[in-house]
Amino acid sequence: MAAKPRYYETLYIIRPDIKEEDLAKIQQRLRDAISANEGEIIKFDKWAQRELAYEIQDYSRGIYYIIIFKSLPGAVAELERHLRFYNTDVLRFMTVAITEAAANKERAVQESKAAEESAAAAESQAETAAQPVEEAETENEPAATEPAEGGTN
Amino acid sequence: MESPRDRKYFAKKKVCRFCTESIEMNYKNIDILSRYITDRKKIVPKRNSGLCARCQRQLATEIKRARFMALLPYTVLH
Repeated sequence: MAAKPRYYETLYIIRPDIKEEDLAKIQQRLRDAISANEGEIIKFDKWAQRELAYEIQDYSRGIYYIIIFKSLPGAVAELERHLRFYNTDVLRFMTVAITEAAANKERAVQESKAAEESAAAAESQAETAAQPVEEAETENEPAATEPAEGGTN
Repeated sequence: MESPRDRKYFAKKKVCRFCTESIEMNYKNIDILSRYITDRKKIVPKRNSGLCARCQRQLATEIKRARFMALLPYTVLH
């Protein structure tokens, strides 16, 4: 019985006064947990910082982070084990299975964002390096639009 | 077989908003979910929400998920 990889979305709340290095450490552990189980991370981002609807561990605010990934079902248990391990910093977490269509939509968004960023980076590089700025900009434009179109189709 | 009730009142047909408008119901979308909770933070019943059975079930699930993640309150007493 071969288990099929599925798409998941994990939302977790971090306490607002966390140190940056602690957060980086936790997130590294989460990334490792997914990739160790043949997972593919589609999105790994901050979602929002907002007022909690009720206090959790005496915190009334929290920072929400979101992970969207594709992996075997076993990776979820592994990921949640890590989230539970840091339960003083992670106030709450929840994993839900999402449809492939929703995951692909998110993937397209992420890819077009990445393409935009690299195009912007290339543009700013070209601006600082070379004098013919206009030429560099027109060259970069088709590169920015092509991957976005490919993602939506 | 027409019942007396049918003649007395105009049958105003309720249509499920999520089926017709294809809005995405998601526990992260609090703006939409909060339309379906009462001022005491209860989930609005099907007879008032006008949703079809499937959408109402989905709505309840999404509201409960949102509550767990502290996006929506369970009660007004927190």
